[in-house]
Amino acid sequence: MRTINVVLLLVCVVAVSFVFAQNIQLPMKKDSVRFAAIGDNGTGGRAEYQIADKLTAAHQRFPFEFVVMMGDNLYGSEAPKDFNTKFEKPFKGVLDLGVKFYASLGNHDDPARQISYEKFNMGGKHYYSFKPKNGVRFFSLDSNYMDKRQLDWFENELKASMSEWKIVYFHHPIYSSGEKHGSNVELRSTLEPVMVKYGVDVVLNGHEHFYERIKPQKGIHYFIIGSSGKLREGNIAQTELTEKGFDQDNTFMLGEISGDDMFFQVISRKGTIVDSGNIRRAEMTRKATTSR
Amino acid sequence: MFVQYAILGIFLIVALHPPQDGTTEAVIKEFKDRVARYWEIHKKAEAAAPPIDKKKEDPAAILEHEKALSAGIRAARANAAEGEIFTPPVQKALASAINQELSSGRGKQAREMILGEGNPKNPESPAKINLVVNGKYPSNAPLSTVPPSVLLNLPKLPEGLEYRFVGRHLILFDSKANLIVDILRNAIR
Repeated sequence: MRTINVVLLLVCVVAVSFVFAQNIQLPMKKDSVRFAAIGDNGTGGRAEYQIADKLTAAHQRFPFEFVVMMGDNLYGSEAPKDFNTKFEKPFKGVLDLGVKFYASLGNHDDPARQISYEKFNMGGKHYYSFKPKNGVRFFSLDSNYMDKRQLDWFENELKASMSEWKIVYFHHPIYSSGEKHGSNVELRSTLEPVMVKYGVDVVLNGHEHFYERIKPQKGIHYFIIGSSGKLREGNIAQTELTEKGFDQDNTFMLGEISGDDMFFQVISRKGTIVDSGNIRRAEMTRKATTSR
Repeated sequence: MFVQYAILGIFLIVALHPPQDGTTEAVIKEFKDRVARYWEIHKKAEAAAPPIDKKKEDPAAILEHEKALSAGIRAARANAAEGEIFTPPVQKALASAINQELSSGRGKQAREMILGEGNPKNPESPAKINLVVNGKYPSNAPLSTVPPSVLLNLPKLPEGLEYRFVGRHLILFDSKANLIVDILRNAIR
């Protein structure tokens, strides 16, 4: 009897995963860049494990190559065992598939321990950039400590980047409808001018424990993905900024870049598609970048 | 008439561009020299610590490196006292620069960034920190976010040495060794 129950349970799990996987409707174009984004995940709690399971299931239908992390990768203690219980164990499914993670630092992260941690691929740096494919570059910043050294580095990297797509990610959102934190205007006044000047297309943030897609600001598309472990239910205030918001469950994001399009889907812990769409690179952005 | 305009012009130039305070410059230079001396100690301790194998970076090896590095620094600065790098004149200069920024137009948000969630004395992210020179900054304690406007007004530090806040106190923080290097108490008024 017990064996039958276990078999039935397994069949149910496989069936749910299959049905969920069918919901993923990204175009999966040839030679596209496929990625996932998570934020504020490092609790080691049930929600993080469930999000990680959904991420693994999503990979069956949408084989993304890497995951970008918005910070608060490990909450609380950061002893060696915590790297296991709050990251390696929950994300074992995707790690075993060879998927790489690229972290940024949140205010709960210990830089000394995380920047050299192999599985976060930060290369011993608080901020860095990487190019998954020609034409696309991701920039990971440390918004906890935005000093002149980092600002100069960021501007020089943007200036030197020949990529059509410039995607920047860091912890603190400079546009947000969160009741708890809201927009970080201080950081905005420093970062926005340089991002506009050099044609940044997309900015991904965390810190607020919900999902929000902001109406494009000065040609830049902003996403907050800060509920992959933590959740602050009902925290999105009614503002003019929100294009789409979701604060009822934990979420993660899938993204696909192909040519001038970036397709995205945001998925909840229960497997519901919370948001989806397509960003087309603005004409002005294309003009701002030079030949590749 | 010309003379009047010339006098007015000179007055405006002087008013808008006050002469550099030679004393402050000397204080900052002295501070930078003390920081440089600390950083030499750091580099020596780092060279003696077990290296982090680039290909096998794992949390245990990173922790071992951090412990050896902080132990080396502590041994070399066994008699270090509060105010050794943040000397009284430096404290005055830094506190003035910080509070000038925090009382400016955008100072409210900068203050909230420093004292908000992330500051280990904030009720939402409390952590016990023994605020002493050569003290360990606990790995379970969050790090305060330091606004760019404040950082741009403070003297530049070597990469790996940072200004952070614990409550209203400014600390000089060695982020590679997780070590409190010096403390400027009640830096924020």
